[in-house]
Amino acid sequence: MRRYYVDYFLIFLGSFLIVYIVLPIAVILVLQIFDFSMLLKALQDERVLKALKNTLITSTATMLISLIFGVPLGYVLARKDFRGKSIIQGIVDVPIVIPHSVVGIMLLITFSSAIVDNYIGIIMAMLFVSASFTINSARDGFLAIDENLEHVARTLGASKLRTFFTISLPLALPSILSGAIMTFARAMSEVGSILIVAYYPKTAQILVMEYFENYGLRASRPIAVLLILISLTIFITMRWIVGRRRYA
Amino acid sequence: MLKLKNVSKDWKEFKIENIELEVKKNEYFVILGPSGAGKTLLLETIAGIHIPDSGRIYMDGIDVTELPPERREIAYIPQNYALFPHMSVYDNIAYGLKIRKAGNIDETVRRLAEVLGIVHLLNRKPKTLSGGEQQRVAIARALAVQPKILLLDEPFSNLDVQIRSKLMEEIKRWRREFEFTAVHVTHNFEEAFCLADRIGIMLNGRIVQVGKPDNVFLKPKNEDIARFLGYENIFEGHADGSRVRIGGITLSSNVTTFGRIKVAIRPEDVIISKSDGEFEAKVESIESFGFASKVTLSINGLKLKALTTTSKIIEEKIREGDRVYVSLRGFNLL
Repeated sequence: MRRYYVDYFLIFLGSFLIVYIVLPIAVILVLQIFDFSMLLKALQDERVLKALKNTLITSTATMLISLIFGVPLGYVLARKDFRGKSIIQGIVDVPIVIPHSVVGIMLLITFSSAIVDNYIGIIMAMLFVSASFTINSARDGFLAIDENLEHVARTLGASKLRTFFTISLPLALPSILSGAIMTFARAMSEVGSILIVAYYPKTAQILVMEYFENYGLRASRPIAVLLILISLTIFITMRWIVGRRRYA
Repeated sequence: MLKLKNVSKDWKEFKIENIELEVKKNEYFVILGPSGAGKTLLLETIAGIHIPDSGRIYMDGIDVTELPPERREIAYIPQNYALFPHMSVYDNIAYGLKIRKAGNIDETVRRLAEVLGIVHLLNRKPKTLSGGEQQRVAIARALAVQPKILLLDEPFSNLDVQIRSKLMEEIKRWRREFEFTAVHVTHNFEEAFCLADRIGIMLNGRIVQVGKPDNVFLKPKNEDIARFLGYENIFEGHADGSRVRIGGITLSSNVTTFGRIKVAIRPEDVIISKSDGEFEAKVESIESFGFASKVTLSINGLKLKALTTTSKIIEEKIREGDRVYVSLRGFNLL
């Protein structure tokens, strides 16, 4: 009997964080349902729609760039042994520990006016804070592939490049894609560095802040809800697709 | 066909040293050695997955030491078969053919599948196959590209006994059908005996003895090889012409030698009897495992292991502490 008490206790402790994550999301969604007219108004607001579009464009671009550069890096980290590999691995993880406002300052100092208030600035800020996810997932995906598969492909006549595209990449794809989703989601939620580098063109996450400061909570809430719905929809669908691929 | 000259490679915790090896066309060459001897590293080096630290590898007289795997025309089947999990059986077999842009891919795949008995599996994914079926697919995939040499790493170690012996018989048949040359690595004597044209014994990263199976099994060159081949009784002795003394007993040998020598006796060559024999011995212990039993004997303090059938132990009522007679069917001088 005693063991059950322990189980219940662990479940009780474990549920705390889950409730804590779900509660605010549920509350904001429920409150918005009772204030549906504001949501409709936001959906007709030119500035809101433009900002949402900006957010989606820049996040998607960030994700694509992280794939183009992150997948090869992940492959190298998974398959090659070289001096300083642990340093490279450390560098990949550095953005996670730097405060995002600091990221904005650093980028501004380094690239100055070239990135101020344009799409490139937003994308660079997003890329800095979110590329690690794609790199690390790609690396883990390649690490999980039995190297013998690549060896056999080679002995059957495939060049290194062909082996990569016919064996390694398809097998690592679910892992790479789930990393890319994380990068996309992280990019969408970035505020701190964008605030410093590129306040304009205005993205939705910045607009939420602006509405909150200028018009208060009730005005900013519909935009927040729209952002949550978009993020969750993309997150859930892509995870579902990746999961299906993985267990296919 | 394949020739290794003085090949050495040190890789992680494995090592091969000064490997000299020659495999002839259409030969089935088995490399027999305990695990950790470096057998897999040797195969991977032949396949081109590793470049040797020193030494050269030749194929048909051409130096291939530095060539990448895809240009060696060697097919490699790793121990876990390494079937491509994201492709159907058909696409696995066709993989090498597609790269070569071969004609009649469909015909080749179907013919191989027919001979190897896997036609009904062509649309399946590797994960859904049994171990034996996976092995067949791996062999089909390798043979599809008509390699000069097929490298097999412990091909039967993941299969249960019945499937193993069936596959061994079939490999002989496929050899007649496709006439391939093979290097097969194993720690299993039965496989070596059943399949090999020639055997190379590999111990601690070195090929220590090469020869026809009978020859290698009956005439180990030194104590280490003898021990590996199951000569459990190895004694220091003294030869005096045609007589050899070990401990308190004297054996007569048909070769003439003098001085200190070693005598190796296989447990199955030690015959026990309650009625008669050359030497008298005391039974120290009996260990039965299934149909076979191992008996430890003491002849004037000389400990000798004998392998016999369990039914004989029961029929002759041989028990620990009994006095029995022992004769030797044969022994080797090292």
